[in-house]
Amino acid sequence: MENLKLEATKYTPEISLESSGVISMVGKSYPENTFEFYSPIIEWVEAYFDGSAADTTVVNMEILYFNSSSSKLFFDFFDLLEEASANHTIEINWIYDEENESALEAGQDFIEDFEALKINLVKK
Amino acid sequence: MNINEVQRMVDKDGIIFLSYGGFLSQALISSMTEALEKEAEYNDISMSDSNNIFTVFIELSQNMMNYSKAANVNDASFRPQGLILVSKSVEGNYNIHSQNIISLQDKEKIEPKLLEVQSLDREGIKARYRELRKSGQHTHGKGGGIGFYEIAKRCDLLEYEFNQINEDKFYFYLKITINIDKKETK
Repeated sequence: MENLKLEATKYTPEISLESSGVISMVGKSYPENTFEFYSPIIEWVEAYFDGSAADTTVVNMEILYFNSSSSKLFFDFFDLLEEASANHTIEINWIYDEENESALEAGQDFIEDFEALKINLVKK
Repeated sequence: MNINEVQRMVDKDGIIFLSYGGFLSQALISSMTEALEKEAEYNDISMSDSNNIFTVFIELSQNMMNYSKAANVNDASFRPQGLILVSKSVEGNYNIHSQNIISLQDKEKIEPKLLEVQSLDREGIKARYRELRKSGQHTHGKGGGIGFYEIAKRCDLLEYEFNQINEDKFYFYLKITINIDKKETK
């Protein structure tokens, strides 16, 4: 499976999807059309878990700020990870700046919403 | 138009910027967000407060952009325009104001959400936000989705007005206040 890499823009994060088992999203997220923007990412992740997933998948999320539709999108993404975690080992690092209270809060909410997932809060 | 009158208004009301009458585009929104980032940096505003300002600004401006895109293009009175304005009070707190024209039908969709967020405390808003995000309903269409809950989570005061223009049209005005804690040491 080919890696997929998207450079950051003013309003979308840098995204890196590696078939060796590392998924990263770093930056801001408020695309004009969130679902359209992320659909190739979601498709890649679905195909990855359907086929050639690595033994352990590490997901690094470092989102500075985001709009509400990105929040919904990340929820759907975590939902997909939770489903995949039935058959795969997945570890998620929710990386936040210690001054960024809302990013920490967002990570805590995801931990509560996805009890089956291993989500680490990682202070930068 | 006398530009000095605008200048006086900007000085008197602590206006940081405004945009009116044009098309709100994603490029414009992200440039204005960048300007806000500079403003926050210059004023040494904490990351928490800054991110709340950016998120509220983005939410309101994208709401207006999406609303105008979805509006009936054959109806000239729903031109894709809106007023969005960021100002700073003498105490150093930030206000984000938005106003655009909406239909009666959309007013009826929006108003219950606004009443609900006003009636809830912070914990209640957070709980409702997560509940709505999970249920996944009403998150894609115009009319706010979880957007108003996102805004309510991040502000200290949410005020709104609907001012009737005619039978079917209203000015929808939203004023958000974000208090800046000067002594914040986080």
